[in-house]
Amino acid sequence: MDFYFGLLQIFGVHTLLGLSAYVVLLTGQVSMAQAGFYAIGAYTAGAGTAMFGIHILPAIIVAGLVTAVIACIVGFPALRVKGLMLVVATLAFGEMVRLFFFNLTWQVDRGGELVGPNGAEGFRSIRYFPEHGWEVWHVTAFIWAVVIVVMVALWWVDRTRAGAVLRAVGHDETAAQSIGLNLTAVKVGAMTAGGFIAGLGGGIYAHTVTHIEHGVFGVLLATFAIAYPILGGLGSVFGTVIAVLFIQGFLIEGLRFLGDWRSLLFGALIVLAMNLRPTGLLGEHAPRWFRRRKTGSEPLELKEAN
Amino acid sequence: MDYFFIIDFVQSLADGLLFGTTYALIGIGFTLIFGVMRKLNLAYGAAALAGTYVGLGLFLTFNAPPFVVFLASAIGAGLIGLVVYYCCFRFTPEAHPMASLLASVGMLLFLEEMMTHVSHGMPHPYPSVLSGATLELGDIWIRGDLLFVFGICVVAMALLFWLLYRTPLGLATRAVSQQPRAAQLCGIDSARVNALTFVIAGVLGGTAGAMTAAAVGILSPIIATGLTVKGLIVVVIGGLGSIPGAIIGGLLVGAAENIFLLLRGVTERDIYVMLLLFLFLTLRPGGLFGSAATRD
Repeated sequence: MDFYFGLLQIFGVHTLLGLSAYVVLLTGQVSMAQAGFYAIGAYTAGAGTAMFGIHILPAIIVAGLVTAVIACIVGFPALRVKGLMLVVATLAFGEMVRLFFFNLTWQVDRGGELVGPNGAEGFRSIRYFPEHGWEVWHVTAFIWAVVIVVMVALWWVDRTRAGAVLRAVGHDETAAQSIGLNLTAVKVGAMTAGGFIAGLGGGIYAHTVTHIEHGVFGVLLATFAIAYPILGGLGSVFGTVIAVLFIQGFLIEGLRFLGDWRSLLFGALIVLAMNLRPTGLLGEHAPRWFRRRKTGSEPLELKEAN
Repeated sequence: MDYFFIIDFVQSLADGLLFGTTYALIGIGFTLIFGVMRKLNLAYGAAALAGTYVGLGLFLTFNAPPFVVFLASAIGAGLIGLVVYYCCFRFTPEAHPMASLLASVGMLLFLEEMMTHVSHGMPHPYPSVLSGATLELGDIWIRGDLLFVFGICVVAMALLFWLLYRTPLGLATRAVSQQPRAAQLCGIDSARVNALTFVIAGVLGGTAGAMTAAAVGILSPIIATGLTVKGLIVVVIGGLGSIPGAIIGGLLVGAAENIFLLLRGVTERDIYVMLLLFLFLTLRPGGLFGSAATRD
């Protein structure tokens, strides 16, 4: 049973990572910096609980806020460019963050034991959960509570004017600008929101694994972050969740019996999926269960609604 | 600022400039593909390295001489480039750039795993030529193998320029990169040109991979990420779509990398290279030779 709870925890933190990239992707920007934001969140929240002994909830919120501020600062120069240049700029930022933590040594004495990031060795013993007697299902419930809050918030934002603005910028920047939208503000705003979510996710991730090191937050994690929303489809937050289940549940856990060949199949299946469903598994539109029921089942009307 | 420091500095600069030509080749590959397709091929670095492994296979099984190994690396990378084109770019719709981007990410993961699988994740020795020889200019020693790497890369660039500016294929490639629709109206098969561009870029990447491995002396699957990241940085510094820009950018990154290695040590080296990139992005977002930003 613990194994399945552990799996659910992995789904949860990866969903947060994917959602952080989802917000930025809505504005049409491909950000490879999400792994860097995730790292900042992980180290900040880890420092909060392990080094300064604060409660986990404020720790991850502080981690989210710190990451959001950094994302906002990075957003201004990075979002002057777009397309491929942005991919490279954010990739470079992510690598810079990783190398910063690779070189960071900052330890404090707590109860006769040195805790804190220690260069290449990483940040050991972020043991908030075991030290406070949290059981596995407590942790899982906590993670999914955060995930659901974030998902509901994003779902709601998508239904408001802000969501329409984000998508307008994503579809055609020039058209969006011509109706008076401030592109920089929208993009930096999306980046900041993405940074906050990545910071939350990273903070929780640090506590579930108890030991973080720079190598985890490399280019591979950044590609996973953008892979979830693109593979799932940008229509709604559910696309990201489906893609996390598909990649983490089916490709990584479900195919474990294939041994070494699993990782080979992994990349090939992503290639195949993008050739068959270029708009993602759930497509570009949000599911319209409610609307379809109201409009009835006349084929002509359905065609227009879609 | 004593004499020995200046000697060390010039030495690093020279080594960096010589090695920078491999970065320049990778940068040219990214630029070529982007030029004709307006799409980013993230699998490019991995494909280049996979080609290098083809050459290594020939070396380990038949004990082939270095030149055959290098040639096989280049041709292997060209063929893998073609496979990447057909798997990730040929059949994904034009209107969804994200689809081909993610497909190339999938290809990147696939190729990296393939290499780890074949090599068991272990580094292998890679043949090199002129490795013992050195050229002494006063107190500065130029390594023979680096000089060879430099020579091969310059030859590869010269061949590319000849191909692009002196052959019908080059004319077609430049036409497609300037205006795909007009090129098609003139009777140029743009799908064929795209495929051939992937092959040419692959051959350049394979050469760069082989030369990197020859200069380092070993080949390991972890080089792929480095090649991809450095190649992309070179493209941004040089300006998207500009081949001279990619060459200058490659030399600049190679030199900067070695100088920061001397000044700050191996763990901090790449931070400063990334900072250099950020400086370029803020001050010259179009790169050194890039045209003004257009609507894409």
